[in-house]
Amino acid sequence: MSTLALYVVVGVVYVALGVIWPNLLLSWVEGAAFLLLGVWILPLVVRRRP
Amino acid sequence: MSWAAHDLEPYAIQRHLGGKVAIVPLLIGSYSPDMLSKWFVYGIDVLGIELKADDPVQFHRGWPGVGFTHSLAFGLVVAGLILLLTKSRVWSLSFLLGHWAHALTDVGDTIGTMLAFPFSTETFGIGAWAYAGQTDRLTDAGAYFSGLGFVWDGVWILYGLLAWRILTRDYFRETIVPADPFWGWIGRWVPEAALLALYRASFFYGTTRWVAWLIWAHLLNDYPFDLSWGGPDWVPAAHD
Repeated sequence: MSTLALYVVVGVVYVALGVIWPNLLLSWVEGAAFLLLGVWILPLVVRRRP
Repeated sequence: MSWAAHDLEPYAIQRHLGGKVAIVPLLIGSYSPDMLSKWFVYGIDVLGIELKADDPVQFHRGWPGVGFTHSLAFGLVVAGLILLLTKSRVWSLSFLLGHWAHALTDVGDTIGTMLAFPFSTETFGIGAWAYAGQTDRLTDAGAYFSGLGFVWDGVWILYGLLAWRILTRDYFRETIVPADPFWGWIGRWVPEAALLALYRASFFYGTTRWVAWLIWAHLLNDYPFDLSWGGPDWVPAAHD
């Protein structure tokens, strides 16, 4: 469930940013990178903080 | 053209065929008809110089032009080359199905696709939603998300959500990974959380941009909905 919640939060942020800057919605690479950042890299960084 | 179906249809094909297909070549196939040409349809600015097709519709879907990338034969030829180079029937078949899904989906707009090229340059289209690629990207988005095109995409989103199990970790481990050595290869360097994100990326991209464009078109802007056949009427749709 926490994974689903994480994806939903990242999705909501991506939608919000995309509505403000529509050019963000035009690139698959940027969309995939955004998802990787949100569900993999950021959680990794947060977990490793002392 | 379609704005989200090409991201989502491969997951539906995956659900039906399971381990007989692989998601990576399915997605590559699904994106392939527009992969190298779409930027030239809308045009880009390079150091103050605009690069854009003189006749975007003819360039994108016609002949002369690169409309042959939307033909069934083009998918067959590339799938044959993939089989020749990789010896992988799964990759070849998956690419073919992804490509054909794209070519057949684009039959829905007012231009259609040259499905029978090189035997015929006639375009097959049912004209359900307006093709407006000859306008600028944002007008095209506003038009697409006001007509039946976004409804068609919505069908695939709904289908994907109802088939949510294909997006789970278990499905990924039991069906996706065994079907394609790609995942084992990349998994030597990348942890499973990242692999799962990559696997889900196109579904995420298709679904979120569908929501975002709808909000952008109708809450931030005032593009009127028009779900009539071939609409919206307010955009100068291109016709064959």
